[in-house]
Amino acid sequence: MVTFILKRLGLALITLWLLSVIVFVLGQVLPSDPGRSVLGPLAAPSAVRALDHQLGVDKPLLTQYWHWITHFPGTSTQYQTPIGPILTTALGESLKLAVFAFVLVVPLGIIGGIVSALNFGKPIDRTISIVGQSALTVPEFVSGIVLILIFSIALGWLPVTATAPPGSGFFTQLKYLILPVIPLVLVLFGYIARMARAGTVEALESDYARTATLKGLPRGVMIRRHVLRNSLLPTITVIATQTGYLIGGLVVVEVLFRYNGIGMLTYNAANQHDIPMLEACVLTIGIVYMIVTLIADIGFSLLNPRIRLRAAE
Amino acid sequence: MDKPDIRKLDAIRVERTPLENHYIDELLAGRIDRRQFLRRGSTMGMSATLLGTILAACGSSSSSSSSAASSASTSGPAPKAGGTLSVAGVTPAAAVNPLTVSDAGGLLMLNQTGEFLVFDSNLKLMLQPMLALSWSHNGDGSVWTFKLRPGVKFSTGAPMTADDVVYTFQQLSDPKNASNALSTFTGVLTPSGVKKVDSTTVEFHLESPNGNFPYLVSSDNYNAIIVPNGTDFGKWQSTFVGTGAFKLGSYTQGHGATFVPNPNYWGTKPLLAGTSFQFFSSQTPMLLALQGKSVDVVAQFVPAGAAAILTQPSLYKIIKLPSANHRELSMRNDQAPFTDARVRQAVAYTLDRKGMVNALLSGDGTVANDTPFGPRFPSSNLSLPQREQDIAKAKQLLAAAGHSSGISAPLVTEVYEEIPQLATVIKENAALAGITFNLKIESQSLYYGKATYGNSDWLDATTSLVDYGDRGVPNVYLEAPLTSAGPWNAAHFKNKQYDGLVKQYVAALDLSTQKSIATKIEQLLLDETPIVIPYWIDGLTASTPQVGGLNPTSIAQLYLNAAYKS
Amino acid sequence: MSIVDIPVEDAGALQAGRTEVRRELLRELRHSKTFLVGSTILLIWIICAIFGSAIAPHSPYTQNLLGINKAPSGAHLFGTDQLGRDMFSRVIVGSRDILVIAPLATLLGTVCGTAIGLVMGYFRGVVDDVLGRFVEAFLALPLVVTGVIALSALGRSNLVIIIVIGLVFTPLIARTVRAAVLLERELDYVAAARLRGEGSLYIMFVEILPNVSGPILVEFTVRLAYAIFTILTLTFLGLGVQPPSPDWGLDIATNYGVVPAGYWWEVLFDAIAIATLVVSVSLISDAVQGVLER
Repeated sequence: MVTFILKRLGLALITLWLLSVIVFVLGQVLPSDPGRSVLGPLAAPSAVRALDHQLGVDKPLLTQYWHWITHFPGTSTQYQTPIGPILTTALGESLKLAVFAFVLVVPLGIIGGIVSALNFGKPIDRTISIVGQSALTVPEFVSGIVLILIFSIALGWLPVTATAPPGSGFFTQLKYLILPVIPLVLVLFGYIARMARAGTVEALESDYARTATLKGLPRGVMIRRHVLRNSLLPTITVIATQTGYLIGGLVVVEVLFRYNGIGMLTYNAANQHDIPMLEACVLTIGIVYMIVTLIADIGFSLLNPRIRLRAAE
Repeated sequence: MDKPDIRKLDAIRVERTPLENHYIDELLAGRIDRRQFLRRGSTMGMSATLLGTILAACGSSSSSSSSAASSASTSGPAPKAGGTLSVAGVTPAAAVNPLTVSDAGGLLMLNQTGEFLVFDSNLKLMLQPMLALSWSHNGDGSVWTFKLRPGVKFSTGAPMTADDVVYTFQQLSDPKNASNALSTFTGVLTPSGVKKVDSTTVEFHLESPNGNFPYLVSSDNYNAIIVPNGTDFGKWQSTFVGTGAFKLGSYTQGHGATFVPNPNYWGTKPLLAGTSFQFFSSQTPMLLALQGKSVDVVAQFVPAGAAAILTQPSLYKIIKLPSANHRELSMRNDQAPFTDARVRQAVAYTLDRKGMVNALLSGDGTVANDTPFGPRFPSSNLSLPQREQDIAKAKQLLAAAGHSSGISAPLVTEVYEEIPQLATVIKENAALAGITFNLKIESQSLYYGKATYGNSDWLDATTSLVDYGDRGVPNVYLEAPLTSAGPWNAAHFKNKQYDGLVKQYVAALDLSTQKSIATKIEQLLLDETPIVIPYWIDGLTASTPQVGGLNPTSIAQLYLNAAYKS
Repeated sequence: MSIVDIPVEDAGALQAGRTEVRRELLRELRHSKTFLVGSTILLIWIICAIFGSAIAPHSPYTQNLLGINKAPSGAHLFGTDQLGRDMFSRVIVGSRDILVIAPLATLLGTVCGTAIGLVMGYFRGVVDDVLGRFVEAFLALPLVVTGVIALSALGRSNLVIIIVIGLVFTPLIARTVRAAVLLERELDYVAAARLRGEGSLYIMFVEILPNVSGPILVEFTVRLAYAIFTILTLTFLGLGVQPPSPDWGLDIATNYGVVPAGYWWEVLFDAIAIATLVVSVSLISDAVQGVLER
């Protein structure tokens, strides 16, 4: 087992290095002039060149890459301050939103899926499928706008922006996050419910389940003990793959609701051609995604006896 | 107007300079009105009390003058102390460095804690003392002397003296710094021209006479807040040190800022317990925040896309400031098809300016007549015939220039406020006369490029549409985009006669001279039509009805000294 | 779809068998309700995209500065927008860009992904490991984020969007194809082909590829829906097509601020258009998936 984990970690590190190279290349492709971006379009070219030199833009690529890696995350060219604290704060904020979304959608999805499977073919099954499917087809910015227009402007029940005033308590912060979290939940619900449903159906039809029922085990107990565990397996994989969609959704939702998370940070950095900030954000997002996938992989293999046993050989 | 009190006037006149007497003559003869008298007089350095006395003696109702940044909005709910005002503003584009700020979001931050020598009040349309109590010139306008307000302290407790003012202006006018104020000071002031006379007096020795100089050190020059001697501008963002009514609470990059009252302020203490700014990257979420009651005030917005606010007067208070904000369409005078002035005029005649003001500005603006001289400037001659849409005439002009089958050209512009929509309207209008514009709408950074000839779509494109922010005097509009050596001359307009006229205008000290030169300039520009200016845009500020005491300027500054929330 | 073990001499029969299976699948699709509904809606939009200018009652670009923000009426079925342009015409013509860019982008991703997946699955070993790391690295970058960087760096052009989306889809599709190829390569017909002396390229593209076409097709339809989704989001963020294009995402971005003034029609119809298009593609992908699973 330990060798398995170590092997996965090793591979992950190589991928991480590759990711940093990709991000760096993307960053250097930007045809922008950081000195110009900072000083504005009307500054004298000599001043711009001086600032560029200060920022080290005129050195060879390999030197820049090494410098970037060793000084990660570096300094923002736009704001002239270290990126580290800004990045960590933003990441924390995004995590709050992401965790809130997951806490809502995973149980909802699993329950929805199980209920569907238990009522296979019946109207409730159909309804859940249709709700899941239609929610999937509406991009986050559309559902976000509709929510703002109805609940913030027309009804005035919930705030328009997602950022609570500083010093707010836990529940106030939660109230501000309700609207932004809904588009994320909508987009993820359908897929999770469908996977849970498929997994449950398979587990219900498995030999083990049928045997257990024949032996007289009450349905509820059987579901809890066996079905749940096996429908959880594919769901864990799904959660990991959905992280990509979630992060993509985070960008739009954070921009729309003006939330100080890593999505909005990335968007602003891209618009302002703040290359170090952009590279830092994108690499961080990549790292987060890889960590989640890694944990999911390891978790999956821990739960799945087949892989666990094979790894032990 | 009552009969003038001649005896009182004579007593006043004895002590005035010939130029000031000239203005009093103009006022009595009715050649300038009360408002123009106030503006010109204040520029020349006549104090508000003096102006008021003269006006009273001339039989005109006097204007009240209060401390520069105090309340200027009219009726409203009763002032109440305390509370925090939340304001929506545009995200500053870069670090808030007084030397380099060039965007609306950044300059809004500067004026929260910083103050200027002189305040250009949009509401009263005249210059008011701020950190300078009075100013005067040496007769030909080549040396200006400013007397500083005593007893002013920075938020740190240190007193403000002439050394601080000298340091500030030497840094701002130094070509070695990447100072944004160089666009105002190049050719006008160099660091060696800033001289300290004593601890409360500063002299500016200019490169050449300039009749509008006080505007150049006023709040119009939004970088010119007075900072302590020796300040490291790059680090100003962490302290926001200034002489204003508020001092910094906290500043979070890309997100917002908070301010609290400055205990060392020289003027009336603010009513508010604090202010909180939230930054937005575009206008729509800003306005939604106001509607959703997440903010109390939107510092500045444009009518395009703001129908929800503008059509509900009972829900939102709108402050409208006439301003010289405009959009300028330049045509390369040195490139086909625009080498012929008739073709350029044809373009001007295709535009439905009234329709544009109605649709793009919701009526919050005025039609413009293709010259920088608009209603904002007292020296403008507004009696020249206003151009209107005349497709037949446009076709005629094109045919006379040999293009009866029409022409086509690329039109490059930026994504900013309502400009993309304006570009499409221009395209549609011009198509009616057979002129095809191929639109290329880019992000601001791509459009501006390096902002030098040969490296900038803005300056190099055959047809280019750019934004110009408000100024108190038309000097920048006359020089930068239209003189032969101007750095912003996207039209590549090189006309010696024009250059000469502008030089005369800048040096002119009295209003009637300015006016007569302006008329000549306007006529020349109409004949040549190197550029087209379709409209002037009012500066709009919105708030909930409970807010009062806001003091905005049309350059997107907002003074909250006297603001309150009931 | 399962592959039956067939002896080498019956290669011709194998070919005939494949055609038969395909015909059978198409027949099943035609009977599937989901497929029919999805295709009908999609067909309507395709017609709008191709013949838009002919069908639309007005030009989507003509402004009427005196008739701005008018509610739906006989003259303007979907009302007019902030510049007085006919919303109905804009919605119809707005389908054009998205129905050109999205399929092209997905196609690019599918072609590249299939090629890489085939190589990874067939060769395994070092090639698989190395390519696998690249695939994983690209997988870690969400599509919207990559789109944001690429578009602000390289400018907002349709070509950039197509390349970016194609690039990001490639590893996703490669992963699926690889998994399918891993199963296929163990089968007899592959060994038979190798014995016959066929080259690797031939085996991958002529022997294996047709047998994994099922999963590839499913991937294509699923990714297509996501491509539409993402392009609209990027346009909404201001990184896609430019004004005065009647693109739906762009119109929503421009007009959603005035809905509280009561101008609901300037956003609603674009939203419905988006929903119906994505639904139609999803339905088709569901139908294909269902048919292939049997």
